[in-house]
Amino acid sequence: MSETVQKAATAMRPTKVEDVASVVKDAVLSGHKLEIRGNGTRTGYGNPVQADTTLELGGLDQIEFYEPEELVIRLGPGVTMQSLQATIAERGQYLPFEPPFWTSLYGTDPARATIGGTMASALSGPRRLFTGAARDYILGIEGINGQGEHFVAGGRTVKNVTGYDVSKLMVGSFGTIAALTSLTLKLWPAPPREQTLLFEATDLAADLARTAEILRAPIAVSGATRLETPQGWQLAFRIEGMEEGVAEHVAELTRRMARPVAATLDDKDSAALWASIRELDPLNATPDDLIWRVNLPVSQAKSFIDAAGQGGGLSRYFTDWGGAEIFCATKPETATDAGVTRLRALAKASSGHATLVRAPDALRRSQGAFPPASAAVAALSARVRKAFDPMGLFNPGRMTVAGQGSKA
Amino acid sequence: MKMPVTDPGVIARREQLATGLRAIVGAEWVISEESERAPYQCDGITAYMAMPLLVVLPASTDEIRRVLLFCKENGVKIVPRGSGTSLSGGALPVEDGILLGTARLCNILDVNPTERIARVQPGARNITVSEAASPHGLCYMPDPSSQIISTIGGNVAENAGGVHCLKYGVTSNHILGLEAVLMNGDVIHLGGNYLGAADGSLDLIGVLTGSEGLLAVITEITVRLVPKPETARVLSMSFPSVDTACHCVGAIIGSGIIPAGLEFMDRKVLDAVAPLIQETFDASTAALLICELDGCKSEVDALVQSVTAIAQKEGAIEVRASNSDAERERIWRSRKLAFAAIGKICRDYYCTDGTIPRNRLPDVLAKMAEFSKKYGLDYANCFHAGDGNLHPIIMYDSRKPGDLEKAEEFGADVLRTCVDVGGVLSGEHGIGVEKRDLMTHQFTTTDLEQQQTLRCAFDPTELLNPGKMFPTPCRCAEFGRMHVHNGQLRFPDVPRF
Repeated sequence: MSETVQKAATAMRPTKVEDVASVVKDAVLSGHKLEIRGNGTRTGYGNPVQADTTLELGGLDQIEFYEPEELVIRLGPGVTMQSLQATIAERGQYLPFEPPFWTSLYGTDPARATIGGTMASALSGPRRLFTGAARDYILGIEGINGQGEHFVAGGRTVKNVTGYDVSKLMVGSFGTIAALTSLTLKLWPAPPREQTLLFEATDLAADLARTAEILRAPIAVSGATRLETPQGWQLAFRIEGMEEGVAEHVAELTRRMARPVAATLDDKDSAALWASIRELDPLNATPDDLIWRVNLPVSQAKSFIDAAGQGGGLSRYFTDWGGAEIFCATKPETATDAGVTRLRALAKASSGHATLVRAPDALRRSQGAFPPASAAVAALSARVRKAFDPMGLFNPGRMTVAGQGSKA
Repeated sequence: MKMPVTDPGVIARREQLATGLRAIVGAEWVISEESERAPYQCDGITAYMAMPLLVVLPASTDEIRRVLLFCKENGVKIVPRGSGTSLSGGALPVEDGILLGTARLCNILDVNPTERIARVQPGARNITVSEAASPHGLCYMPDPSSQIISTIGGNVAENAGGVHCLKYGVTSNHILGLEAVLMNGDVIHLGGNYLGAADGSLDLIGVLTGSEGLLAVITEITVRLVPKPETARVLSMSFPSVDTACHCVGAIIGSGIIPAGLEFMDRKVLDAVAPLIQETFDASTAALLICELDGCKSEVDALVQSVTAIAQKEGAIEVRASNSDAERERIWRSRKLAFAAIGKICRDYYCTDGTIPRNRLPDVLAKMAEFSKKYGLDYANCFHAGDGNLHPIIMYDSRKPGDLEKAEEFGADVLRTCVDVGGVLSGEHGIGVEKRDLMTHQFTTTDLEQQQTLRCAFDPTELLNPGKMFPTPCRCAEFGRMHVHNGQLRFPDVPRF
């Protein structure tokens, strides 16, 4: 027995759901904390976990069913993103929320990034402003709760009001609620055609105001970014859809922008640009830069950038989602408690919040990757976690820092 | 319908409780007169009725907070209610509980075209949000058939769907922020007034949306607005059999086209509708599909051609496409009048809303025909085919003893069939009291216990909307104890690997 426990204390990589349950039951008996992950390619996102055992779900890597005409797939959390995307691309389908890999940020292997990790980390890319986020594509889940019990929630149909939407709760819960053993996802037909129009940027506030006008027009804009390129600051708009629609939308976009098109990128070139935006390449971050994601009202983006730029800590930034999301890199000397507090305060003053996408372990441990919640929300979140994991075995501290926010 | 045991002590204290509540919301906003409470006895399901203890109409988040604390202190149950259009008995009162109406919280607080959001109070009617957004070229997409009367608060509670959710998603896909009050008096703010406001925290907005009023009272909602589609055209496609129509649904979506709406009506519905719209349907038509396509003009025209070709290949008798908004309205009229039309040909009807994988439509529709024979009740079908959301209309006569019970059994058989083919009990109406006792058919005891424990995290008092969604009480106190004890005791004999 002690031999087995010793082994368990390092890493477990079950390939069957029963074995996941068994590992959790062991943890219940021993009181050992579990670090739950897929293949561990994005452990740099979120707080570092102090656990006795690593439970890797990457071994649950089977597709249970894929019914293209029903736009639905059910699969284990360990199916890799590349294999999932290749499988559905064969049938002309895709994950519309454009999940980033971010493996280049963490120096890990993109081929090992899993769908389980993607959903648990709620990774959504530039297209989210048009198609919704990762949470909008989960239909059902199965998992093992903190008592080692297997449970099911949701289903496989898009419309479903049958019990609480626990499936959505799992998305973005970073393994703090349950060990996922199955995911059912809604898929969508991939648009056959895409085109990106680049325009020379002017003033940030004016550009974002113009972008907001574009985004409330009936134009199928599925990406709206302002970024620094070798040609200077540019606005990039992506249009996707069927051939006839793209041509008409592009014409309408051009008309409404009322400035010359700097460049047009077709299909593959367009896809390459958005892949680089999705992976935060425009930040050109050095390995020691901190990487931030700031979510805030579009109307506040300029004041935030102005404030963040003072004092010289800001290396580079770009805006996504028409300005409601800003990614920025800050210089290595900002990797202090004071540096983090400062940027978070600026985000808050702009009615937004700031997430540390990449930072040294110690900093994420002390400051938390995620902004602290209000006391009431933190207390409720703790009770919700306890409802699934009463002993607090799963990924302790992955999303929260002890003493932050909660008074509970 | 079995409801939680009524506490006669609470009912005996009605006037005393009314006095306490009047001190919070103002004298005129607590209704205690029996004749004035009577209109609140039921929601959209008139078969279930109960007289609420009191009707309380607060005007602010703080008043709601104080009402909840007052109820908690006095052990009084609370049933939240918007416009009372629930089709699952979600707003069915309890005799020893107050009905908490959101009618006075009906304002649209902000429409922001830059962020493309609207901030609204829960009692605002669905349609008013789109009306307020319209000058900016924006709209609020979820459009349940009840949209002219149902409230956003109720839509959030039931995760309402509608005709356009096939392409645009259901209510939960359009909520960016919520303010809600918990039974412990905490006012929680989740997400906010911009895209991504809720990122980086647990998706409690996802949990609250569709929680049927059992977790918290929602006091403010921020919704996502989207540009109004530039144009839309509608196709009316008639088929010689139910099977061919169902098959065509799969063929359209399988081809990579996602219509804005895709609706199914069977012959019985068409016959009921015909006199109302003064149109006749070809004698060989067994089912009709209505397919709306939207986008920019060239795109929609191309889609109309593609769908027409698919329908013809699938054996459509006739395909008609709208060429003007007036024509589009005319085609939609048959669908919009369907339920009213059925109401004219039978004394009562009962409609439920199981949802199934699209490719099982023919099987489930065949089963319905069997059930109809078994119970000797007629039925008709009019539903959201694109997302497999069935609305069988079971006709009965409430004057005949036992007819309602037969209709309920018929409906339950349909719902069990939906679950058996991989579907769910409810697509958009919610569980409420209506489907509550069928939850055990879809979920195991562990699944349900897990959901109930989640409920306890929000409302350990179990005073919020009791008797809904779950067939048994949550026993929050016991769950707490079990966790403490059983952590060590639960799996003493589990084999290890």
